[in-house]
Amino acid sequence: MTDDLAARTPQEDAAIAAQSQRFVRTPPIDIFETEEGLVLRADLPGVPPGGVELQVQDNRLTLFGRVERAETDNSALLHQEYHNGDFLRSFILSDDVDHDRISAKLSDGVLEVTLPRLPKAQPRKISVQSE
Amino acid sequence: MPIFRWGSAFDAFRDLEREMDRWVRSVDSAFEGLRLGRPFPALNLSEQDQEFLITAEIPGCDAEDLDVSVANSVLTVKGRRTPGGIPEDKYRRSERPHGPWERSLPLPERVDDEHIRAELKNGLLKLRLPKLPTTEPRQIQVISDPQPGESS
Repeated sequence: MTDDLAARTPQEDAAIAAQSQRFVRTPPIDIFETEEGLVLRADLPGVPPGGVELQVQDNRLTLFGRVERAETDNSALLHQEYHNGDFLRSFILSDDVDHDRISAKLSDGVLEVTLPRLPKAQPRKISVQSE
Repeated sequence: MPIFRWGSAFDAFRDLEREMDRWVRSVDSAFEGLRLGRPFPALNLSEQDQEFLITAEIPGCDAEDLDVSVANSVLTVKGRRTPGGIPEDKYRRSERPHGPWERSLPLPERVDDEHIRAELKNGLLKLRLPKLPTTEPRQIQVISDPQPGESS
């Protein structure tokens, strides 16, 4: 079985990061199978509704989440376990994902992307004409 | 004239320590997000004029499931994240932490326990802990016992 959701190369990620001019980090994700296809969940804490951009180009799915800053400028950071920054990650979709029916929702900082499988092609009867 | 001084020897250690810190941090940030076993939720603590601000990244948690408490200048946050009833064999990738978690963080100084405000929005918990007013330094008089009959 081929890995149908392969990550993008670091060089390509860096190119997108340079465009946004902000600190970019990789969100942790889960991918699981359902009856209809695949579901992808990504942790995007601090991303408000409307702050997510999902893009499908060719067979590459890119997710970008813009984070709202929590601290004000006059604060001094005393203890740090995470860096403030936007989220970026991209995946290669397999051919059996129906690109037109991809849907996503964001709630409590978790993005859920539904990737439905293409419906199986129906067998087509070809009539044979006899002379 | 002494050639070796303990004082400067420790300075060298501090330099080494700083270098190590810097190196560890750079490795850390390179693997951030992909490294397993990092603390969940990640906490940041910052200080402002009147209050301390603690932000915690807790995506996918309900406010009802959170338990925040402060005792003896230690903040404790507890909660749990439910996996959502998906069987293990259905996962192709699993990087997000699941299950119950608990974090404690010592606070730099005493805070006003009564007026802590907590807000959970978009998976980010913000805790505002007002500082207690600093008390005036109190002068303590030192009494020297007069020594009777002492003369030189």
